[in-house]
Amino acid sequence: MKGEQAMWWIPVVIIGVILLFAVIFYNSLIGKKNQVKNVFGTIDALLKKRYDLIPNLISTVKTYMEHERGTLTEITELRARAVSGGLSDNEKVALDNKLSKMMGGIMVAVENYPDLKANQNFLQLQGSLNEIEEQISAARRAYNASVTDYNNAVEMFPTNIMASMMHYETKALFEITEKERQNVNVGELFGS
Amino acid sequence: MKTLTELKQYYESDLLPDLKVLETRRLQIVRKLMYVGLALGIIAAIVIIAILSYARGNLIALLFPLIGGGAIFMLAMKFFSQGYVGDFKTTIIDKIVHFIDQSLNYDPHNCLSESTFRSCEIFQKRPDRYQGDDFVYGKIGKTEIKFSEIHAEYKTESRDSKGRRQTHWHTIFKGMFFMGDFNKDFAGLTVVLPDTAERLFGRLGRKLQSLNFTRGKLISLEDPEFEKLFSVYGDDQIEARYILSTSLMKRIVDFKKKTNRRIYLSFAGSRVFVAISYDRDLFEPRLFNTLLDFAPIQQYFEDLQIAVGIVEDLNLNTRIWSKQ
Repeated sequence: MKGEQAMWWIPVVIIGVILLFAVIFYNSLIGKKNQVKNVFGTIDALLKKRYDLIPNLISTVKTYMEHERGTLTEITELRARAVSGGLSDNEKVALDNKLSKMMGGIMVAVENYPDLKANQNFLQLQGSLNEIEEQISAARRAYNASVTDYNNAVEMFPTNIMASMMHYETKALFEITEKERQNVNVGELFGS
Repeated sequence: MKTLTELKQYYESDLLPDLKVLETRRLQIVRKLMYVGLALGIIAAIVIIAILSYARGNLIALLFPLIGGGAIFMLAMKFFSQGYVGDFKTTIIDKIVHFIDQSLNYDPHNCLSESTFRSCEIFQKRPDRYQGDDFVYGKIGKTEIKFSEIHAEYKTESRDSKGRRQTHWHTIFKGMFFMGDFNKDFAGLTVVLPDTAERLFGRLGRKLQSLNFTRGKLISLEDPEFEKLFSVYGDDQIEARYILSTSLMKRIVDFKKKTNRRIYLSFAGSRVFVAISYDRDLFEPRLFNTLLDFAPIQQYFEDLQIAVGIVEDLNLNTRIWSKQ
């Protein structure tokens, strides 16, 4: 008789523990998904900041850089498209990659214009641009870290059980492109 | 960057004459101490004989003359060498500091303030005893720097079996503490601490670290060598990565390997703080060995160079961002 009395609450406790874990896993997955969204939002904000610096850059270098007129016009067009809005996340990223490449080219071409290199306005602008580039790079790295964290939760046991029940799938990482690595080197080029 | 050969030349031309003067003083002090030691030894011997003859079996009482004698000897050492240490520092160490960089200033009796030490939040425990010396400050290129030796301790009190209160002192930090202008502007706090948990426990260690409530968020970074050596806590994920760029992480790893010591870093108020642990006292003159050797001079030079070199090792003079 004693044995029967002890038995009834065991399955209740087991179900309780499973429910507790289910809640913990659910909340953890939601938290990680939101963290990814959070960081992507910051990247968006930083990209906008960079777009705001571009008109200033164009007007400062326009008078000096005769040979790069074509590139400068293209940059203005790309920027206009970027701020016009209505782009999907992938389109934003693709546009930003193109823009970064062109701007990188301009900053390297500045080497041929010693007057421009000495210009106070330009130097200040260059500092701001470098800073924004570095912050974007930091945000991308933070994004990748959040996505890795999220992907780990989606794929690893036991949270993967809950993830498949929530229909959560792995996300893609930001590729740190060759261009980005070059960006850092350009900075060091001007550093001396 | 001065080389060892340059130091050797400087030692021979500029330092040796001063060292010889100080050496005479050192010998005088040692002689005085020998007399004191002899006197103490005789007294202690008499006391020990007395104890042995009259208080048989009470061997614990023997400790009193021994400990008392030792304490008196240490006091004598400190008393006699006071002026000597001060003069040694204001001549020799001062010269070596200026040899490394003319523009640097040296104050042997000062140190970085306790509020500065606590503001960087590397060591969260409040010190009950805070002392330091050998304060160096100035500007290397575009970077303002300040550093000194620091010894910070906290105490715990306990009652022993006889109910007497005993104080125990524990070291919070002992070594070189450096503060410098950082080359980027930032608002929050990021702390880089030596990583023990991850080395021992791997992934579980990381999980434990992220639960540390007294620190900010655990920031996991991409450089595997860096992650093995350090754990990073900060209040902003992106700002921490803005500060700890891939190149800075590599530089920090190289710096740690170069010093081969326990190091801690903190980034706060657009400044960088570096704490390097040492168990020995730096920049103190020898008392019981000749001063005329080159080896201790080389040691002082290398210890100073490690701190001054932080500017170059962490690339603090590269100012290509908004901060100039």
